[in-house]
Amino acid sequence: MAPKRKKVEVEEEEARAQEEVEEEDEEEEEEELAFSRNYFLAKEVGSASGKRSAARKVSEINLVDEQLLRASLSELPTKHEKEIGSLLESYKGLYSNWLFELRCGFGLLMYGFGSKKALLEDFASSTLTSYTVVVINGYLASVNLKQVMTTIAEILWEHYKCKAKRSTGKKQQTQLPNGLKSVDDIVTFIVDISDDCNCSVCLVIHNIDGPALRDPDSQQHLARVSCCSCICLVASIDHVNAPLLWDKKMVYTQFKWSWHHVPTFVPYKVEGLFNPLILFSSGHVQTTKTALVVLQSLTPNAQSVFRVLAEFQLANEKEEGMHVSELYTKCREQFLVSSQVTLNAHLTEFKDHKLVKMRRHSDGQDCLHIPLPTNALEKLLQELV
Amino acid sequence: MAKHQTSPQSASSQGANSQDANHTLEPFFILHKAQPQATVVEKVSKSRKGRKKGIESSPKSPEKSKRTTSDEQPSNTLYEQWWFKAFNEIWSLIQSSIEGVLRDINLKLFNEVLQWIEDSFSEIKSNVKLSSSEILQPYPLLADTLCRKIPTAFVLTKNAEFVDDIQTFCDLGSHLKANRCHVANMSALDFSLKFGIGGSVRSLLRQLHSEPLDGKIADMLTLAKWYCEEEKNDKPIVVMIDDMECCNADVLGNFITMLSEWVMKIPIFFIMGVATTIEAPKNMLPSDALQHLNPSKLTLGTPSDRMNSLVESVLVEVCYCFSLGHEVSVFLRNYFLRHDGTITSFISALKLACSKHFSLESVSFLGLYMLDQDSEERWSEKFVYLPESMKRCVLNLHSCKSEKNLQGGVGSIVQQLSDLKASQRFWSSVVLCLFEVARYSKMQFLDIFCEATDPKMYCMNGSENSLKKHFRCGDKNSTARSSSGVGSITRVIHTIREMPVAALSNLLDKWNNHTEEMTEINEEVKKLQSVLASVDEGKVYEENLHNIRNRKSVSVISGKRNSANEKVAMLLDAMIRKYMKPLECMTLHEIICFRDVDVLQSGLIGDPRKTIQLDLLKCHSYLSCSCFSSDAKNLSPSMHDTSIMYKLAQEFGDVINLYEWYQSFKTVLTSSSQTSRKRGRPSPASKKAKPLPPSETEALIQARFCGAVTELQISGLLRMPTKRRPDFIQRIAFGL
Repeated sequence: MAPKRKKVEVEEEEARAQEEVEEEDEEEEEEELAFSRNYFLAKEVGSASGKRSAARKVSEINLVDEQLLRASLSELPTKHEKEIGSLLESYKGLYSNWLFELRCGFGLLMYGFGSKKALLEDFASSTLTSYTVVVINGYLASVNLKQVMTTIAEILWEHYKCKAKRSTGKKQQTQLPNGLKSVDDIVTFIVDISDDCNCSVCLVIHNIDGPALRDPDSQQHLARVSCCSCICLVASIDHVNAPLLWDKKMVYTQFKWSWHHVPTFVPYKVEGLFNPLILFSSGHVQTTKTALVVLQSLTPNAQSVFRVLAEFQLANEKEEGMHVSELYTKCREQFLVSSQVTLNAHLTEFKDHKLVKMRRHSDGQDCLHIPLPTNALEKLLQELV
Repeated sequence: MAKHQTSPQSASSQGANSQDANHTLEPFFILHKAQPQATVVEKVSKSRKGRKKGIESSPKSPEKSKRTTSDEQPSNTLYEQWWFKAFNEIWSLIQSSIEGVLRDINLKLFNEVLQWIEDSFSEIKSNVKLSSSEILQPYPLLADTLCRKIPTAFVLTKNAEFVDDIQTFCDLGSHLKANRCHVANMSALDFSLKFGIGGSVRSLLRQLHSEPLDGKIADMLTLAKWYCEEEKNDKPIVVMIDDMECCNADVLGNFITMLSEWVMKIPIFFIMGVATTIEAPKNMLPSDALQHLNPSKLTLGTPSDRMNSLVESVLVEVCYCFSLGHEVSVFLRNYFLRHDGTITSFISALKLACSKHFSLESVSFLGLYMLDQDSEERWSEKFVYLPESMKRCVLNLHSCKSEKNLQGGVGSIVQQLSDLKASQRFWSSVVLCLFEVARYSKMQFLDIFCEATDPKMYCMNGSENSLKKHFRCGDKNSTARSSSGVGSITRVIHTIREMPVAALSNLLDKWNNHTEEMTEINEEVKKLQSVLASVDEGKVYEENLHNIRNRKSVSVISGKRNSANEKVAMLLDAMIRKYMKPLECMTLHEIICFRDVDVLQSGLIGDPRKTIQLDLLKCHSYLSCSCFSSDAKNLSPSMHDTSIMYKLAQEFGDVINLYEWYQSFKTVLTSSSQTSRKRGRPSPASKKAKPLPPSETEALIQARFCGAVTELQISGLLRMPTKRRPDFIQRIAFGL
């Protein structure tokens, strides 16, 4: 038993050391932060609060309810709607040139600030009437390229079968799309039959740099499909580093991009739909909420133990933490725990959910600490009634 | 003249908008199917139909032209057909010229490879004769270990970018296929760790089998069975890997080891492209794989050699139907030299220039008739049925405005077009003569081409004195100019002065061919040929290079300008002066000359990193709203939210404190006066002093703030807060 216990102790020791290192790193980062900003800003921050690390917290903003904020966001009136409208209207004059370039064998790559979704779909529906247009919403993480490729293969296969039927005696040599297993197989199938298809398919990809398409495999598949003779590509990018997705072979021999700068200033409403709201995603706000949910799921006694620890931490901000023995005494006084074992059970629960951290006190003893700033902790206690 | 931009039919746009809401959250959807009547497949690269047919189908026929002339506003679609046909015809011509040039350059290497394969194959055949049953035995044959080595040709591509070599390897594959070889053209993707050796074998079998594998197991036995089929076992199998260094070394090593087990039964050859040095395979492959290779070395031509040939055949010989203006030439030259030095990028830039020319220049389709022998007749016919508006377009071309003769009518325009064609032919003849000298002195043709298209140089050379001054004084400036490609022609003339008589004689022979259309010059060339023939050849051959150089300097100093070299130089001088008129100096040059370098540059090199930041910083220039009128630099609440946020972000360092950013943003939105905005971060006191206007609620400001941060995040200009720094956002792009 002894060596096992020793091993556990060593592990705990290591974990503590690790935590200490992390905390030190954090402090170092804060220092770097102060230095890395320009001199005057750093000085102003220093003088304003009189503390070394004077960074203001997001939690200091008087945040409104998240639901209310989301509702406001969805109903937000667009600024300069008229001007944006005339900007979009001005691009309509270029549609014929864009079509010309598509027919010349180029792929159109639209970039510039603002959502280009409406622009591309308007172009496709008004000008690309001779093409079957497949739109891929690349901004969604749920895009499954295999399904997209299967759909394209089915469109081409339909035309291929019709053509084969017309030309009598021609044997259908290629297998059905149903028998295809991987994306690679489907892409190869598309490449093989595209020369014999009497149709034109245009792939409109909103955000070819989107989350589901930005991996090298997806880009390779799209590149291979884009150089088929009956397929053309109209795509948009929004990320400033999007060109890094492609190598020279893809750019010059497969996608054959013709770049078009079309800033629209249209809000990225759909594109940013699933992005977390910055004011609610940042650390403490989220942590306080999570902590509340966890605490509410615990027994009232456990909640009270946490409250004892939290109140101690609020009352003694300068202290490094609360000794376990001190916590035990206080909890016992309030009839919250009957034994050290019960307290340890609660503490394990807290530690598992990262509500409480163990620290080495300067006097050498272990102490408990809640990793939340004072205001967040106050808010948590208020809500934990 | 730029083409009139016509607004396309927007009837269906409303419909599309209504569908939008349903489709925004679907990963993908079919917007619409092709309308049956409009389904016309236009495979640009493959359209090699007869040009005549294409032209006849254009609205030249009286019925169609009547409709257009009576309307006076013919449909844009009609013109689009003309432009597209013209592009298609001319690009097909250029492309076939490019393919021909590249094929010819590589032909020597291809034949070398073929010879090597044939020799090795016949050697193997003479040593090992196996029956089908022996080939199909799953265990290796015990024989001399030397025979288990795979003959491998490492082709040094001399090009760090393998993109140029992809086509070379494809051509090599076709060449070998046409010469009784089974060919599998594989790439680095077939040797990836993800699919392992199974993927490599599968890819090999897929390429060799003309039909799909249909569930067959991809292994060497399948390959052996295929090889034993009728009429297949008398040919070698050539496995080509274009970019060997990009393959996964372990997978390739295993592949080699596995094939070596079968090499006695199936004659396999490797051709591997190596971009760096011949040492690369040794450094990369495991030793057990290396010992199974029997290497030999071959070398491809350099990109600059290929570029010279391309310039000669594409930019000069086919220049009378589509050509590049001086600025565009210089841009393309720099694009080639400074961007990536690949022929592929140059060709794609040329194609984009060609398409931009036909899509932006309304009368560009007239250039198509330059290809015909009876151009004048074709133009006359075309002009009869051409709508008045289009004729006006011709007369309104910038180069026509000063030409009063053109107002005479169709006849004078056709005459000018004929002159243009003739001038371009002469220009190209002179440039070809220059190239012959440049070939001797190993100069870059593209530099000469850029100089030959420069209208300023021609204007400067307009008077005889200034021309002489330019060329005679050229030796002083040539060093400085040569770096920018300006003094290339001067250097060409100087090269002639230094040429030995034998080389000069060869040069004149070639000039004789190039100057056939310029009778006067051609006669001079013939005279010089006879002069050279009379020179005592024995004496010439005794001269060493040192003496030749001395002779030049002596001749200049002593004023012996009557030497043969000097005469040839003077002839070239005269040719340049008389016949090398840059296209941009000609009337109606807009029809065949693409000059819009900005359009080409923006189409070719999108710079989203810079441009998206500029969009945000200068949103007022796109959204021309009255609220920006006073001072665009100041932040006003009516500005685009993300633009305000990005401008505020400029005042922070590499990280942005969310609280401070929010407060600044809030202050901008709630402020009525502009003066206080000049401060980066307003003090908390001033913030408190300003009450929120009733219309802007806190929720609205926070929503705008969150929305703007999301937009900046989508643009990739910010990195979201980490767990450790929850209150800070990191800026990614600094400066433009």
